[in-house]
Amino acid sequence: MARNTVFKFIGVALGLGFLMACSLISPETSYAPTHPQELSAGRPMCSECHSTDVAKGALKPYASFDHTANFVKDHRFQANQDANTCASCHAQSFCTDCHGGKVPMKPSIRLSDRPDRDTPHRGDFMTLHRLEGKMDPSSCYTCHGRANNDKCKACHR
Amino acid sequence: MKRRNHVVLLATLMSATAWGQEVSLYGTTMAQMWKQDTPGFDKATFTPATQYLGIDATKLGTDNLSLHLFGWGRTDLSDASTLEGKSGGYLNYGYLQYRFDRANAEIKAGRMTVNQSTGFEQIDGVSVRTDLRGGFSVSAFGGRPVYYKTVDPRNQTDYEFQRDAIFGTRLGWRMPKVGEIGVSFLQDGTKAAKDLDIPSPIDYTRKQLGVDVLITPATIFDVRGRTVFDLADHAPAAPGAPDRNKIAEHDYTASLKLGGQFVLSGNFAERNFFAYFAGTNLPSLFRQDEKDMFRGFGGSITWNAPSTVQIVADYRHMHRESFGDVNRAGGEIRWASSEKTFQAGVGAHWVNAANTKFVDPATPYRSLSHKEARAWMMTVKGKFSASLDGILQRYDSGNPYLAGMKNVYEAVASLGFQATTNLKMSGDVSYGTNPVAKHETRGLLRAEYRFGFAKKGGR
Repeated sequence: MARNTVFKFIGVALGLGFLMACSLISPETSYAPTHPQELSAGRPMCSECHSTDVAKGALKPYASFDHTANFVKDHRFQANQDANTCASCHAQSFCTDCHGGKVPMKPSIRLSDRPDRDTPHRGDFMTLHRLEGKMDPSSCYTCHGRANNDKCKACHR
Repeated sequence: MKRRNHVVLLATLMSATAWGQEVSLYGTTMAQMWKQDTPGFDKATFTPATQYLGIDATKLGTDNLSLHLFGWGRTDLSDASTLEGKSGGYLNYGYLQYRFDRANAEIKAGRMTVNQSTGFEQIDGVSVRTDLRGGFSVSAFGGRPVYYKTVDPRNQTDYEFQRDAIFGTRLGWRMPKVGEIGVSFLQDGTKAAKDLDIPSPIDYTRKQLGVDVLITPATIFDVRGRTVFDLADHAPAAPGAPDRNKIAEHDYTASLKLGGQFVLSGNFAERNFFAYFAGTNLPSLFRQDEKDMFRGFGGSITWNAPSTVQIVADYRHMHRESFGDVNRAGGEIRWASSEKTFQAGVGAHWVNAANTKFVDPATPYRSLSHKEARAWMMTVKGKFSASLDGILQRYDSGNPYLAGMKNVYEAVASLGFQATTNLKMSGDVSYGTNPVAKHETRGLLRAEYRFGFAKKGGR
């Protein structure tokens, strides 16, 4: 009897909690899942068209998504805080080109016909990884996972 | 995930495409060839064939439900080109996604990459997010981490026992004309090493709390970054050892735009390995049980000239407590025609690693200081495309790591033909020299195709 009472109480509490949570959800319409306009080739500057006033609309700081050389090399914070903004133009497979977890070849080989893209490990990385991996092994983590993949077995045992 | 689970997941997801009103299929088929004739190794011919395949199926019964799959498979037509054997494959991601009409809310289920927490994780599980009133947003994920193989099967057993589940959440608050602050939590694994039948000295689990910020009071300036704290219960340090730092990571980048053409950027990062990583599955690579730390800082200045020229100068200093310091500096010039039918770039960097420490008494040590130069171009004319890419690294002579070499280089030439809107064929030839292969020539044939309606699939 007492157990039933407890279950009922928990059920009512969860129900009320769910209703409260629903009331907290933003009433704003979701923005478009895909960018409504076709963009020209090359690296777009979002702030050329978008208002960069973070007080408006989705409060997105579009200027920080401008595809400058620095953004292309270092966009982890934008991807962390606003992945769905990236998704309006890029499919997940675009990220997988470099951040695949486990891939059959270096991105620079797979995309060797696209020298304009800043693919990692270009050229003789076998020699350079002695330096890069030694100085900052945490830099390997973003693409290869926390524990690296089994390709490392070739030399590291 | 076990192979049979892969098959079940793939079969379930693939069958869902039958319901899709808009199905896009995109893929790349690649055939490579190179021969190996290296002293000390058997002669071999490698001809791996690799297939990448992605599927985006939208409007699965409702406008809001979609399916996304991407993976690859490889088979060797002659000698095995990897240690995995003559064939291999992997599902990079495969998930169902439901996007709500309001609040940018979404639910994903399947294999996916999540980066809404303290890091970048690949999981088999569920992810949800939504905007809340007042500029708040909340996201959460849970499931099993995607494992990589380890060298030692016993380690693998320990690894999978301890990392039985992964979950995380992030609460963000975006403030008009100020920026955003987020608090996130990650737990990777719930079982401790001490719970094993044979207690393991290596704890693979992680528990981290992250605080990320975006400060952008004006459109010309922003600061982004995060600090991650280690909350895991570690075995006590040896008597007399200094207290371990509980801050796993600081990583901050500031950016300033001047006059619409110049961008100044600076970054500072610090990572304490014991707090940042969990236990290692490759002790020869990472020894996080050692007290070690990385600190780096640097910056760049970019000039986006109106005449489609972009010039970048950059500098980075890296310091690792156990190995020393490396400085890298240089620049790059890019030029593109107004229609982007021709693009070219030239870059040069200097890497000074002279102040790195002697770490292996069995190896005669020389630094890997070098100079690097790169030049590339690509052009599109009608249905034809072509590209050239060359990179050269010039080291000090007599370096024992380089088999007597001083100049290491690689040049790649590619020619492509856009046969139809949906099909592009291309072929590459590369030639280079490196410490493993003094004359390395590789051939590569590539077919890229895309069928369907997706606006962004594969881009």
